[in-house]
Amino acid sequence: MTTPFPYLLLPHLWSSRNRAQRRERGDLTRAVVFGAIALGVCGAIFGGSYWLTRELIEYAEFGDYLLRLGLSWLFLSFLAFLAFSSVVTSLSTFFLADDLRVLMAAPVSPRRLFHARFARTMGQASWMVVVFLTPVLIGIGAARCASPLYYVTAVLTLVPFSTIPVAFGTAATLVLVNVLPARRARDIMMLAGLAFAAAIVLVLRFIRPEQLLRVESLPDVTDFFATLQSPVTPLLPSFWAGESLFAGLQGGLDWMHAGALWTTALAATLVVAAASERWHFAGYSRSQEAPKSRFKQFRLLDRLVHLAPMSTVRRQLLLKDLKIFLRDISQILQLLPLLALVLLYLYNFRVLDLDRIPYMTEFVTNVYAFVNLGMAGFVMATVAVRFVFPAVSAEGGAFWLIRTSPISMRDFLWSKFWTGLCPVLLLTEMLTIAANELLGIDPFLKVVTAGAIVFMSFALVGLATGLGARYPRFGADPNQAAGSYGGVAFMILAVLFVIVTIVLIGWPTSIYLVRRFRGQPIRTFDEVRIIVFFGAAMILSVVTWLVSMRSGVRALQKMSD
Amino acid sequence: MSMRPMIVVDTVVKRYGSFTAVDGVSLDVRPGEIHGFLGPNGAGKTTTLRMIAGLLKPTSGRIEVNGHDLVKDAEAAKASLGFIPDRPFIYEKLTAGEFLRFHGGLYGIDGDGIQSRVQEMLDLFELRRWENELVESFSHGMKQRLVMSAAFLHRPPAVAVDEPMVGLDPRGARLIKDVFRRMAGHGVGILMSTHTLEVAQELCHRISIINRGQIIAQGTVDDVRKMAGGEDEHLTPVFLKLTGGSGLQEIDEVV
Repeated sequence: MTTPFPYLLLPHLWSSRNRAQRRERGDLTRAVVFGAIALGVCGAIFGGSYWLTRELIEYAEFGDYLLRLGLSWLFLSFLAFLAFSSVVTSLSTFFLADDLRVLMAAPVSPRRLFHARFARTMGQASWMVVVFLTPVLIGIGAARCASPLYYVTAVLTLVPFSTIPVAFGTAATLVLVNVLPARRARDIMMLAGLAFAAAIVLVLRFIRPEQLLRVESLPDVTDFFATLQSPVTPLLPSFWAGESLFAGLQGGLDWMHAGALWTTALAATLVVAAASERWHFAGYSRSQEAPKSRFKQFRLLDRLVHLAPMSTVRRQLLLKDLKIFLRDISQILQLLPLLALVLLYLYNFRVLDLDRIPYMTEFVTNVYAFVNLGMAGFVMATVAVRFVFPAVSAEGGAFWLIRTSPISMRDFLWSKFWTGLCPVLLLTEMLTIAANELLGIDPFLKVVTAGAIVFMSFALVGLATGLGARYPRFGADPNQAAGSYGGVAFMILAVLFVIVTIVLIGWPTSIYLVRRFRGQPIRTFDEVRIIVFFGAAMILSVVTWLVSMRSGVRALQKMSD
Repeated sequence: MSMRPMIVVDTVVKRYGSFTAVDGVSLDVRPGEIHGFLGPNGAGKTTTLRMIAGLLKPTSGRIEVNGHDLVKDAEAAKASLGFIPDRPFIYEKLTAGEFLRFHGGLYGIDGDGIQSRVQEMLDLFELRRWENELVESFSHGMKQRLVMSAAFLHRPPAVAVDEPMVGLDPRGARLIKDVFRRMAGHGVGILMSTHTLEVAQELCHRISIINRGQIIAQGTVDDVRKMAGGEDEHLTPVFLKLTGGSGLQEIDEVV
């Protein structure tokens, strides 16, 4: 009973080891694909960071100033991310995780439990930041030919820098779980997600990054960076981390800021440890209480679905799926980061300063219509892998109900398809139309891209539904299903599909547009080429849609064999 | 053998907002006693057991395990208890052996002693050949037996068990009954919630019946039978009388 706290982390290590030893189908493919993507991203980040730092060296002292501000701003972004991420993670690790039922019933002291869960929260909340920051910091170090001291400083900076927001996030969760009515824990996640999404949009709105595009005069750039500074900034750990690291880069040590980081991290950990010892059990007990969860009846939804002309079976399947989705806040929550990205995406179009290149404005604008279409395609694939692909897996332990009912697998899967299609089509169509309006693109292209979205939606939702039925992961949560062999296969195929579709639509259209802008006559051959290529894109979509669905239905039917 | 109760539940109350799930429940489990905890669905059995296990905080009242107060001396109380929940959590990606060794470590059993004890428990619950298999490949009954192995691993003087027979085949059920009898023979006090009245009648020295959060009958099976009028030989009609009728009339009406 007095074994040190890392003992409590052993099951997770053993589980990972066992998982690695007993590979499942597709594990190798998944590892290769994800590994290659991760390496590519890390390489790109390193390259970008190295290039930017080299460029800044040209500006001597002003370059140093920009680098310090850049570091401070980078750490500030990560501070916000870590604070949000640790609230969400600590809610799970300290209050909702299943293994707490084993640990809380065992004679484990609250202090040991806190240390183990805090370490787990740290790992889960900060690994992404560390993975992202490592190539950035190595890139900066390599560009400035930094001494080994810089790299030591980087490690000694990152540890307390990650600890501070995790401690604050854990404390915030502890307070919220103890203050809010029981079983509202997930509402907290909702709240945090909304706040985070709103914060990203607002921060980017206020700092106006588009000003960076106007590099004609240096004062504009300094103004831009000046807006990043505020009287509060020097009081934040992000500033201390930036200063400490910059000192390391110059071969020195900034004891004051490094000291501030470490003392704050230690003090925050001690305070939250004491608070956890005092209030964790009360909060945990409250989070277990589920007398009556609040939920909506969705009577209007009932009435609307009953108005739709469909069979009773399909109606009931649709109603069940919609109600389960709408009552699960964690599902809706996952849409928030996507929503934030979409808002940023639209905002970027609004502030795009195309007047800087007047002679190309019209052509570039129309090229952006295809960038826009590609972006919508990737949003579509992301939404589909997260919400449509797991649709069959989501039946989980209740799938016996479908299999023992007088419902054909065809009806069942097509019901899943239509349920997935409507929101995906609506979201991406609205996104594309809004972006094209903001850009003011050619009316011909508006019609083409709007039509393309309809075909792409059918194809990608069909592909996700079909592959989801071929590779179901009953019992897994939707995240796990999306990351499974079938999920990865879907993403690869979806990306290929989007690229091929854009080439099929974009190539003949761009030739047509160039001719028109140059005032050249449009030949019959150009028109025929457009018709042929558009036709090929349509056929590709329809074939992808129908073949995927048929394959999915067959896979479900084979389950009974 | 000392007759100090192994488990004491003293006027324990648990409220969820305005709803009282457990309303002043008191009971005790003596060394060597199997105490049946009966009641209809939603009566408050699981809530009471989860409070005894230290998973839920009572609104008021006192719980002691092996003389240790669950609030003042939580670690010592938990070290004296083996808890078998109705819906147990087991790390799916661990093997049975790894799970038991980890569980032993939580209760301070390590070094040379743990491996032989793990083997003993795997033998006792007929899981030896599954020692190196992942838990995810186990059937429900095997998982149930594994959880019981874990609960008895640290030789607890008191055991709280929630619905132990659910999902077990007749062989598994007989095994569990034998284990409970043998453990009780060695002085372990067992508090067992169950819906299987035949099991309660066969195994339990005393029973407590809880309905709507309150204990409505307590004593030996004979004592409880007398409370209900004394004519019935079996426990089922006694249970139905005490907890509010059989509902047979309603069934006829519906059918």
